[in-house]
Amino acid sequence: MGRVVLRLEGVTKSFGGKSAVDSVSLTVPVGQLVGVIGRSGAGKSTLLRMINRLGEPTSGRILFGDTDVTALRGRPLRAWRARCAMIFQQFNLAGRLDVLTNVLMGRAFHMPPSRALLKMWTDDEKAQALSALESLDMARLAGQRAETLSGGQQQRVAIARALVQEPDIVLADEPIASLDPRNTKVVMDALQHINRHLGITVICNLHSLDLARSYCDRLVGMSGGRVVFDGAPAALTDATARDLYGLEAGDVVGHAAPPPMLPAGAQPGFALAGS
Amino acid sequence: MSSVRQRYPEHFQRFGRDRFVMAAIGFGLFALLIYAMGRLGFFDGTLLSGLGRLFEIVGLMLPPDPGSWAHVKIYSISLLETVAIALLGTLSAAVLALPVALLAARNVTAQRIVRFLSRRSLDTIRSVDILVWALIWINVVGLGPFAGALAIMTADIGSFGKLFSEAIEAADRKPVEGITSTGGSHILGIRFGILPEVFPVLMSQILYYFESNTRSASIIGIVGAGGIGLHLAEAIRTLELQQTSFIVLMILVAVAAIDFLSSKLRFAMIGRRGGVAV
Repeated sequence: MGRVVLRLEGVTKSFGGKSAVDSVSLTVPVGQLVGVIGRSGAGKSTLLRMINRLGEPTSGRILFGDTDVTALRGRPLRAWRARCAMIFQQFNLAGRLDVLTNVLMGRAFHMPPSRALLKMWTDDEKAQALSALESLDMARLAGQRAETLSGGQQQRVAIARALVQEPDIVLADEPIASLDPRNTKVVMDALQHINRHLGITVICNLHSLDLARSYCDRLVGMSGGRVVFDGAPAALTDATARDLYGLEAGDVVGHAAPPPMLPAGAQPGFALAGS
Repeated sequence: MSSVRQRYPEHFQRFGRDRFVMAAIGFGLFALLIYAMGRLGFFDGTLLSGLGRLFEIVGLMLPPDPGSWAHVKIYSISLLETVAIALLGTLSAAVLALPVALLAARNVTAQRIVRFLSRRSLDTIRSVDILVWALIWINVVGLGPFAGALAIMTADIGSFGKLFSEAIEAADRKPVEGITSTGGSHILGIRFGILPEVFPVLMSQILYYFESNTRSASIIGIVGAGGIGLHLAEAIRTLELQQTSFIVLMILVAVAAIDFLSSKLRFAMIGRRGGVAV
């Protein structure tokens, strides 16, 4: 393992007394591709959003190197968000703006606000955005409105936006949950490429255990807001997988304990995405 | 079937309590309407005898006739003035209302007190009718189209402020979140996440108000705030009913033309291809 970069210490998020994320502690070194797996409502999204600080932890700390991310306010907070790009299930693009403008939003933090507000991009910025789009085979659509693109194309625009942030970490919150199988592969390959060739740490929430196993270096299994598994994909036994995905009865957000085991012989209900 | 019925009996009741209550409310409102109409004299014959008089007036209006070419010229210029009052008033109202609407929108302004104050001031402006504003502005800047444009502007700041802020609040929060997640400031989130999304809604509201204000502008002309209304009032007062109907027809044509143009304009701006991205 390399130098430790991202550290979560007892991170908890409660909504009205229920814990969506319950004292999660994790250490993510540089350059890992981490898959966070678990059912809907296991706290995966809430966890990722807290790392980017779109959500505030109720308690606990998130550290990046020596910086306490949870204590940041104002410009340092925005600087952190710029270093920690986020990709969303619903792409979160401005639908009526063209693709290029959407990608350039990834540079917004680094520009003087007056210039950004007037859309006075420099040639360098445009070139950077276009080459990010080119690397995802999207440059020819740069002038189109984002809302006219297919889901897979929109997600690639969102990835290009993340790339021009020149981030240290990319957080991907169910990036393929709204996509068909072919686009799923395109997007997952892109995330893998970012990780392998640019050395950017990627933390990716996934429904599908199969995808998580084939793409990720490390899996973090969450259930009821807690981490119930943390290790290499090969170490994830069928029993643990059943723990993560089985039994609807325990399906309560903020369930304090991991749900009980399924009886032997029951099928684990994973691989939901793309179905 | 019977077992499903047993489990969800509430969906099988044919005459539930809710339905009875709704019927009672509907019947009550209808009875109130009949009573009120009776009190206003709908049934004591004035309406019937008045109906004959109405046909008589309509008959006197036909055929529409301006009287002379000089009249046509004067009316056309006044009509253009009316359209100009409406356009100027609507546009300046929209420009002034947008910042207030942003201050009044929950997803833009976090400070409760700022939101509350801007909302209440919009309410205050809106509670005064356009005709009252016209009378006030005539006292301030004198008779003429300037007073008319100011009246439309002040009256519509209130309406636009409310409509705009509601459109802004209804905007999808995901694009803003996308910009926030890159480290973009709140201002950038509004500029690139909210404004482009609500732009078509605001535009169609402005265009509708332009059309509707052309009609209002002919009313405020009656109290002396410029435009065709003055001639309309004059024609009615002097019982030049054929001229009256000619003026009404002119207004009708103008409003129809504006409606046609504004729908073209709206599609050009909102349309799928090549539209304006703010």
